[in-house]
Amino acid sequence: MSTTRPKALAFGVAATAAGLVISACSANANATNSAGSTNSAPVIGGTLRFGMLDAPQFLDPHDTYSYPDSIIADNITDRLTYQDPKTGKIEPYLATSWSYNSSLTQFTFKLRKGVTFSNGTPFNAAVVKANFDQDAEGDESLGIVADTSHFPNYIGTDVVNPYEVTVKFSQPNASFLQYTAFTGGESAGFVSLSTLAESKDERTKNPTTIIGTGPFIIKSFTYEKDVILVRRNGYDWAPPALAHTGNGGAAYLSEIDMETIPEASVRTGSLEAGDLDATLDVQTTDERLLRKEGYQILAQSVPGRIISFDLNTSLFPTNDIDVRRALIIGWNRDSLLKSVLTSSYRVATSPLSALVPGYVDYANTALKYDPKEAEKLLSDDGWKVGPGGIRVKDGKQLIVKFVGINNLVVNEPAYELMQAELKQIGIDVELSVLPIPDFSVQQAKAATNWNGVAENSSRDDPAVLWQTYSPAVGNAAFVAKGSAAAEQLTTTLQEIQDTLNPAQRIAATEAAQNLILVKYALTDPVYEPSQVIAAATYVHDIGFDAQSRNDFYNTWLGKH
Amino acid sequence: MSRYLLAKVARAVFVVWAAYTLSFILLYLLPVNAIDLLFDPTDLATTTAAAKRQIAAYYGFNKPAIVQYFERLGDAFRGDLGLSVQSGKPVWYAIGSVIEPTLVLAVCALVVAVCIAFGIAFLASRTRFRWLANLLQSIPPATVSVPVFLIGLVLIQVFSFNLGWFPPTGDSGLVSLVLPVVTLAIPVSGPIAQLLTDSFLRELEAPYVMTAVAKGATRSWVLSREVFRNASLPALTIAGVIFGNLLAGSVIVETIYSRPGMGRLTELSVGTKDIPVIQGIVVVSAILFALGNLAVDLIYPLLDPRLKARIASQ
Repeated sequence: MSTTRPKALAFGVAATAAGLVISACSANANATNSAGSTNSAPVIGGTLRFGMLDAPQFLDPHDTYSYPDSIIADNITDRLTYQDPKTGKIEPYLATSWSYNSSLTQFTFKLRKGVTFSNGTPFNAAVVKANFDQDAEGDESLGIVADTSHFPNYIGTDVVNPYEVTVKFSQPNASFLQYTAFTGGESAGFVSLSTLAESKDERTKNPTTIIGTGPFIIKSFTYEKDVILVRRNGYDWAPPALAHTGNGGAAYLSEIDMETIPEASVRTGSLEAGDLDATLDVQTTDERLLRKEGYQILAQSVPGRIISFDLNTSLFPTNDIDVRRALIIGWNRDSLLKSVLTSSYRVATSPLSALVPGYVDYANTALKYDPKEAEKLLSDDGWKVGPGGIRVKDGKQLIVKFVGINNLVVNEPAYELMQAELKQIGIDVELSVLPIPDFSVQQAKAATNWNGVAENSSRDDPAVLWQTYSPAVGNAAFVAKGSAAAEQLTTTLQEIQDTLNPAQRIAATEAAQNLILVKYALTDPVYEPSQVIAAATYVHDIGFDAQSRNDFYNTWLGKH
Repeated sequence: MSRYLLAKVARAVFVVWAAYTLSFILLYLLPVNAIDLLFDPTDLATTTAAAKRQIAAYYGFNKPAIVQYFERLGDAFRGDLGLSVQSGKPVWYAIGSVIEPTLVLAVCALVVAVCIAFGIAFLASRTRFRWLANLLQSIPPATVSVPVFLIGLVLIQVFSFNLGWFPPTGDSGLVSLVLPVVTLAIPVSGPIAQLLTDSFLRELEAPYVMTAVAKGATRSWVLSREVFRNASLPALTIAGVIFGNLLAGSVIVETIYSRPGMGRLTELSVGTKDIPVIQGIVVVSAILFALGNLAVDLIYPLLDPRLKARIASQ
């Protein structure tokens, strides 16, 4: 990649003027997104004992995989920008301001000065370049895989001066700005040059050598047991939006003990017995019980593309748009709330979650439950009720094969409810709900074997639609290349990736949802997944960031 | 004697090699591309083929299976079991870092299980009350019929959450070892107790016992001095079954009590189809199993004079 200065720069409006940065002072930005906010002054000190299901494994922020991985990596690192979880707006963090060219292929960031890594080395433009280069291109000798999903068409990063960088792509990449705030899997947090020099093996074996600039430091790591984080004293460069006052800018908690507890009843029992202060991964059945017992239940939808069966438009019988429409309106999403989901979850109202800018609510339109209309669509299309109540056309039964993942506790019961309701209008759903590795195997055969594939993608940016449904990118609905539909979808979805003008982007996102859900019926949305935490009453301000990862910067423990 | 030793060692080596080869064949027949599993399913569509090729080469999955087999077998002989596909760590390191807590758990559970088994066998043979003997003899089948996870959850509920005597999770010190050891010992004690009770009762009817009793020995004296040694020998023959129970039980016990160990690593590696690690676990288990059986084969002649004489005469 080149380190020369860019030749002809045609930078567009500064981000501030474009309206992407609002609110230097959003004092209550996190109030509704966090636990037990009170007016009393935060207590400094104490250890938060936090339970979770999965064993963290990859604490390198560029390589995080599971939810606990990313929570830990994000609390020990900082990112260039901060995304407001309520509005989705991108705000300053380690970058004080930024600009981009009109074609959205070059992004320039001015960096905050005085930021240091916990080993004392400075954070500057050279560090940003080294991080982005390794993340985008990988390093075979170190066993680091290139992250081509978040850095598509990456050309390189130029160091303009010690506190200014320009990131360049060969194609427009509007969602890159949001990626600079990203805290989900393979996040945008920065590690020190000493960490970048280590192999994947070394970073996994001894994660205490993963050095970030964040409000916490990894103190110890025992695989399958716990990860202990300690406060970084002297930290003072949090995003202004987090409105952190007190303790000189450092976090309030002295320590966080993140314990892996695989068995659900042991997590709940440990919280009740006082062995934990809070726990993630609360079962829906335990959630009701804990709520009754007076525990705080904290939840936030995971933003992005929600849990939805993407329908295969190239495979019988979902190649028939009337079948796809019947699948979408032929079952009652509200009944999920009665039997499967708790109030911590939302039923699907769009292919996007409600947090993502540009989201459209289809609850009373395209997703309104209408079994009569669904049956009429099928009957008019020649699908007559046959033996066992299953519809038949040209001697073929209306059987659709759906595959999903069992990683979220409510997936299987939700899909089974959908299956039962669709059977009543004469559609036989053959359902497989599998562990992730088996699912990945089936997903590779989706084009020829599956009528519907369900998964979600967590990213608080509408570009997630482009990434998933554009026939030029993910093509999750297998839209035939060269068809009119493919052309229209490619053009419309590309518009999301081609602009950062808020009004244009929202318009493009709305148009994209209309095409995906209404015009071409490419997906059958089910529900919005949530991350659910149960916490004792004395736990205050566990934050949920824009990707619904928890941040403990503002967290404190009251008297107990 | 040396021929006997040689034969037993050769068998142990064969068992380990066969375990390696069979696991290689089975794992490579799985319809799974280990490289695909390295990526988030939602990112697979946007991950370039070049990135996948790069990582396949790093883990050595780019060569034909037969070439991989011989290369990996050669490496395994030199003590290199490859890299975990999930974590990138060397397989030896991944297993080595969790083998100790499992060995501690298994050895303690075995000791407790043997004590329970001897206790049951001794009491069941000593008592003169028919109903008590029947009750004691029904315990071993019961311990193997109750699922381990149920025993664990009940113990944790009562002794951790209600009474607060022991911590529900962790591997810090003896206190945290008590509940997991008991949970694992219960099912393991079942087959041993069954076998011991049967052979105690059989031996009690042997002529040498009758002679001792005729000479005025009490039932307890006969049991502890005469029957004990003769009746215990057959228990060594089920070392393999016991070993299997300990390994299988550790998967569940370590999960319930949130303890790091081989059991959790097994569960995780199978769940994520981490082929090199699964194979490493199979090989390490086979080595432990072969060593255990070899030890039994070598100790047995020392304990049983009849076998010693037969080997000597060969």
